[in-house]
Amino acid sequence: MNFTIILIILLVSILLWVVSTYNFFVSTKARIKASIQEIGNQLKRQADLIPNLESSTKGYLKHEKGIFEMLTMARKQIAGAIKSGDLAQMTAASTTLSDVLPRLSIAVEDNPELKADTVVAKLMEELRDTSDKVMYARRLLIDLSADYNVKRVSVPSSFVASLFGFSEMKGLETAEVGEHTVVSEAEMKSPKVNL
Amino acid sequence: MKNIYEVRASNKIKSFVVVVFFFLFVSITVWVLSQAIGLYMGYEPGGLGYVGLALIISGISSFISYWYSDKIVLSISGARVANSYEDRLFTSVVDNLSIGAGISKPKLYVIEDSAPNAFATGRDPKHAVVCVTTGLLQKMNRSELEGVIAHELTHIINFDIRLMSVVSVMVGLVALLGDWFFRVRFFGGGRSRDREDNQLGTIMMVLGIIFAIVSPIIATLIQLAISRRREFMADAGGVTLTRHPQGLISALKKISADHEPLEAANKATAHLYIANPFKDKVGGTVGWFSKLFNTHPLIEERIKTLQKMA
Repeated sequence: MNFTIILIILLVSILLWVVSTYNFFVSTKARIKASIQEIGNQLKRQADLIPNLESSTKGYLKHEKGIFEMLTMARKQIAGAIKSGDLAQMTAASTTLSDVLPRLSIAVEDNPELKADTVVAKLMEELRDTSDKVMYARRLLIDLSADYNVKRVSVPSSFVASLFGFSEMKGLETAEVGEHTVVSEAEMKSPKVNL
Repeated sequence: MKNIYEVRASNKIKSFVVVVFFFLFVSITVWVLSQAIGLYMGYEPGGLGYVGLALIISGISSFISYWYSDKIVLSISGARVANSYEDRLFTSVVDNLSIGAGISKPKLYVIEDSAPNAFATGRDPKHAVVCVTTGLLQKMNRSELEGVIAHELTHIINFDIRLMSVVSVMVGLVALLGDWFFRVRFFGGGRSRDREDNQLGTIMMVLGIIFAIVSPIIATLIQLAISRRREFMADAGGVTLTRHPQGLISALKKISADHEPLEAANKATAHLYIANPFKDKVGGTVGWFSKLFNTHPLIEERIKTLQKMA
């Protein structure tokens, strides 16, 4: 009497465990699929965002670059004129310069410290953010498939996995051997940054 | 040297052991006290009615604070909703880490306070809230902020808010029962004097007195031990998410170097924060005894554990 009750309780708890382990495998499989889609989602966001960011930043830089180019040109003209010693050339050069100067002062008044550095900093920040997003999306795929694969091979959940034939998840497909698993002589030196 | 996975696994086991020990202790205390109360009141079936009553009283207050934890805490600390224009760094870091953790994005709030700190609350990942101070946003760079936010998200993933609510119900239960025991001893006694001749009755009485005095303190100490264990777990889990222990280490260093106490925090919300919002008032000289009463492990200890993972 007592023995049968214990047996029934034991059987029921084993059954519950098998069901929950089975559910772990199928739900993780579904989440892995979703995480792959998330990577695609983030890549698409990046593909839409970066060209736009690039062109708007370029537009801004062009505006500032134009002023500097004009200034350089005027300066070159003056230097050339002085070298040649020709008065007509000198007059022409100084007119160009006096044309550029008001435009330059307007530009400077508009942006007290020419804003190129903040615009570029903002672009860098956006670039880091978007590649972080893609990286974290991949991280989720890697973590989920690692959880799945660890459960699949470790005892006792491996019995359930083999019973229902759950196959290994690939995760982020990476070549197992290649340049990224070997450190070359050049990579051993600390990198130098050249600007 | 242990890798992150081993640290996480050993944390899980230690935390489990502490929690099991806690519930065992609470069960024994409840049993002894209800027996003792029952003896005094002449109430035969183990005095379970009192336990039920105490559980309900202790449960209601904690349940309310658990169910509405997000709203209550936020209204106490006067936080405002974060927006992606003003708090760009904060929102984008949380976005990214939620992608990595595979949870839906929590609600974000900011407290206007220059003391750097952060906390997470909410009863489950769907109702989660992450709240930071403006001081944290100003003083941390991106990878430090990622370390802090990953720690908070791990609290959410581990259901720490739920666990701590259940634990505080139990501590309240033990405290109430101890209190009632003394009340019936002084006011309710007399109805069953004859029972005290019984030797078992005397033993129960003595045990009851000891448990009524000692167990509320012990229960609170275990509660704090659980809280500290969960902090270590959140540190390890956060690092599994960012794979960058150095970020959290330098964030913790910055937070501990800042000696300004957080005005918005109070004792009820202290355990939620990433670091003790009151700052350590006692130095290291008092030693392990003062450590017993902390909601958080010492920052040096947390950094040491993190450095082992690096």
